[in-house]
Amino acid sequence: MSSQMMTLGAMTMSQGHVPASLFSNYKLHPKAWDELFDLSCAAHPHCHAVVERLGKLGLTEFQDRRTSADLEFMNQGITFSVYADRRGVEKIFPFDLIPRIVSGSEWVRVEKGLRQRITALNMFLYDVYHDQRILKEKIVPEDLVLRSKGFRKEMIGFTPAQKQYIHVVGTDLIRDDKGEFVVLEDNARTPSGVSYVCENRIVMKKVFPQLFRDSAVRRVEDYPQRLRESLFSVAPDGRDDYPNVVLLSPGSYNSAYFEHSFLARHMGIELVLGADLFVHKDIVYLKTTKGPERVDVIYRRLDDDFLDPETFRKDSLLGVPGLFRAYRAGNVTLANAVGTGVADDKAVYPFVEDMVRFYLTEEPILRNVPTHICARPKDLAYTLAHLEELVVKPVNESGGYGMLMGPSSTSAERAAFRVKIQADPRNYIAQPVVTLSTSPTWTEEGVAPRHVDLRPYIVSGKTTWVLPGGLTRTALVKGSLVVNSSQGGGSKDTWVLEDR
Amino acid sequence: MATISRVADHCFWLSRYLERAENIARILEVNQSLLLDTQLPAEKQWMPLMIISGIHDYKGTFESEAVQEFMTWDIDNKTSIQFSVNAARENARIIREVISSDMWERLNFYYLWMQDTAGRYLYNQNRHDFYNQMKRINHMFHGITDATMSHGEPWQFLQMGKYLERASQTARILDVKYHVLLPSTEDVGMPIDNANWMGILTSCSGYEPFHKQYDSRDMLMSTAVADFLIFDPIFPRSVRNSLHMFQTALHAISGNPVREPKNDPERLTAELLMWLDSSQIDKLVEVGLHESLTRVVDTIGDLGAKIHETYIDVRMPDVMPT
Repeated sequence: MSSQMMTLGAMTMSQGHVPASLFSNYKLHPKAWDELFDLSCAAHPHCHAVVERLGKLGLTEFQDRRTSADLEFMNQGITFSVYADRRGVEKIFPFDLIPRIVSGSEWVRVEKGLRQRITALNMFLYDVYHDQRILKEKIVPEDLVLRSKGFRKEMIGFTPAQKQYIHVVGTDLIRDDKGEFVVLEDNARTPSGVSYVCENRIVMKKVFPQLFRDSAVRRVEDYPQRLRESLFSVAPDGRDDYPNVVLLSPGSYNSAYFEHSFLARHMGIELVLGADLFVHKDIVYLKTTKGPERVDVIYRRLDDDFLDPETFRKDSLLGVPGLFRAYRAGNVTLANAVGTGVADDKAVYPFVEDMVRFYLTEEPILRNVPTHICARPKDLAYTLAHLEELVVKPVNESGGYGMLMGPSSTSAERAAFRVKIQADPRNYIAQPVVTLSTSPTWTEEGVAPRHVDLRPYIVSGKTTWVLPGGLTRTALVKGSLVVNSSQGGGSKDTWVLEDR
Repeated sequence: MATISRVADHCFWLSRYLERAENIARILEVNQSLLLDTQLPAEKQWMPLMIISGIHDYKGTFESEAVQEFMTWDIDNKTSIQFSVNAARENARIIREVISSDMWERLNFYYLWMQDTAGRYLYNQNRHDFYNQMKRINHMFHGITDATMSHGEPWQFLQMGKYLERASQTARILDVKYHVLLPSTEDVGMPIDNANWMGILTSCSGYEPFHKQYDSRDMLMSTAVADFLIFDPIFPRSVRNSLHMFQTALHAISGNPVREPKNDPERLTAELLMWLDSSQIDKLVEVGLHESLTRVVDTIGDLGAKIHETYIDVRMPDVMPT
C-alpha cells in the first residue's frame, strides 16, 4: 500500500474542494497514471471544475442519471443482440458516466502527433505500391512488407484519387505510468467505434446539461459531416460535381451495423449491401426502383478480402463482382483504399517512427510502445524467454482477439502460445506490459479506478481533420488491461476542453 | 429520387408487418367478443381464426387462452403479434437511415415494451386494453410517419404496405364471421347475430361511421355491415378504400396517371378495383361472401408478388442505360 492509496475524502473534506459523495472513497491505482487526479489526490488543474461539480452529485442522484442514460441507449436501440437468446434480448454497451478529461493544450500536441503519423502512413502506402523507396533504402525490411497479409499486389502502380489511402484511421493511444500518450496501434482498415463517441456525447448532454453549459467541451458531433466532406472530396475526376456517395455494409447481422446505419443517417447517404450494387463495363451501379444509378464513392465497411469475389476471396457473398476492376479503372473511389492493411500490420507498426523520419524528416511527436518482432530471430528468442512479462499479439487481428497477456497467463496458456509462435513467428509481435492509465469509473463497489485507452479518429480527404477526443474504452473488471468491447469493456465520453 | 430496391422492400414489409400485428389483435379481440354471445365448442370458436391466418399445423389445444397465447406471443408462429412486431422492428432497424428517428424510437419503444414484463403484465391484467394498445401503436406510428418523414418514394412504399395489408386484413376479419357462424340462415337478423356484426364493426373501428349511414329499412344489418366494410368509399378501413389508397401510392411511385395503369401491379390493382366497383353486396352475398373475400385476399397475394417483380427484384441488365 503506497501513500497514493489514501482516500480522497479524508483530504478533500478538510480542504473543502471536493465534497464527499461521488469521489469521496476513491482510491488511486497504486501504479497507474490517473486521468482525473494527481498523486496527491487532488484533481488535475484542468479537471478541477468538472470534478467539483460532479462530486456535488449525491450517489442517489448519480444512480438516477445512470438509469436514465441506460434507458436512453436502450430506447435509441444503441444495442447489440445476445444471439444465444432466442427472444432476441438486446443489451447496451456498458457506458460510464464519469467523463475522461483531456486538457486543450495537451490535445494540441496529440493532434499534431496524429497528423504527422497519418501523413507518414499515407506516404508509406503510396511508396510501397509505387517506387518502394523505403524498402530499397532498407528502412523497413522488404520481406516484412511484401509478405504482409495486408499487402495487395493488385494495388501496385495504382494511384487512388488525391493520393489518399487512409480516409479514416482510428489510432489507439494509451497513457503510460508517467502520463505520456504513446501509440499502441493504428487501425487503418475499417476502424469502428466512432458512432459511440457521438452517441455517448448526445446522451451525456441529455443527462448532464448543466455540466456541459459550465464546461467548455469541444464538439464531437460534427464527425459525420467531416467524413461526408472528405468522401465527397475524393470522387473520381469528372464525377466530383455531385458524386453519388454510399456506405457499403456487410449487413444487418454485422456487429457494427448500428454504426453503419448511424453514419449513413447522419451523412445523408445511402447504406447499401453488396447485393445492391453491380458492375457493368467497369462502372458501379446501384439497383434502384427506377433502374441503375451510378455510384462514385464507396465508404466501405467491408475488409479487402470480401470486397470482390473476382479479385479477392472467391467465396465472398458480401462483395460486388468486378468492383476492383472498376476501382482500378478509376471509375469509383473506395474509402479506405484497398491494401491499407499493410500499414496497420502489427509487425510493420514498429517502423512508423522511422517512416516519420524518412518521409517528413521530422522527429515523431507520438512514440510507439517498444516492440519485439518475432519474425526476427533475436526478438523471437527474447520473446520466448520472457513470455511471462510480455503481451504477445497476432499481427493482423483486431478487437483484442488471440492475445497472450503474459503476467496473468497460466503456464499451460504460455506453453500453448509458445507452440503457436514457433510455428509462425511472422504472425506475432511482443510488447512489454504497459500499465494503462486509469480513470474513475462507477463500479459495484463505488467509484474506482479502471484502465482506459483512447481511440481518436482522423479523417482525410483533400484535407485532414482530427476528432477532438475519441473513444475512451474502459476495462470494467478490476485490474484488467483489456478494454475491447468484444472482451467486455465499456466506454466513456472523452472531453477535450477548450483552452480558455 | 429513386429508392434502393432492397430498401423499398424493407419499407413495404415494415408497414405490412405492423398493420398485420394490429389486425391480429383486432381479430383476436373480435373473436373473443363474439364468443361472449355464442355457445360453440372451443375448437369451433378458434379454428376459423387459424384458417384465415393460414395456419394449418397448429398443435396446441383450442382452449381460448392457449390460442391467444399462440397468436400473441409465439415467435415460431409467423402470424403472431410478437413475430410481426419483431419483423417490423427488424425491417426498421435495417433502414434506420431511411425512416425518421422519431419513427424508429417509437417502434423500438413498443418492441421493448413487448419484450419487457410491462407488455406481458397488461396482457395478463387487461386483455382488451392490451389489444387496444396494439392499435394505438399503429395509430401513433402512422401519425409520426406522416409528420416526420419526407413523403418521397420510401414513404410511398410504406403507404403501399400499410393499405395492402389493411385491405387484406379487413377481408379476413369479415371472413371470421363466415367461418364462426357457418350459414345458419335461421339466425340471420336475430339479436345474437346483430351483436356479432356489431362486434366486427367495433373491431374495425367502424361502429360509429357505420351508424351514421345505416338505415334498417334499406338492408339487413348483416348485409349492411359487409357492404360497409367492403365497399364504403370513405371509411378508411374498408377494403375498397384501402385499395384505392394503395393505388394512389402505387401510381405515385411510377408517376403514371391512375387511369392509365402501365405495369403489372397497376394493371392488377385496376382490375380488382373495377370488379369491386361493379359489384354489389347482394350479388356477393348470393355467390357467397366467403368466395368473394377469398378472391380479394388471393389477388392481394398476387399483387405482393407483382410489386416484388416490378420494383424489388429488377433484373438490371434489362434496363441498363446504353
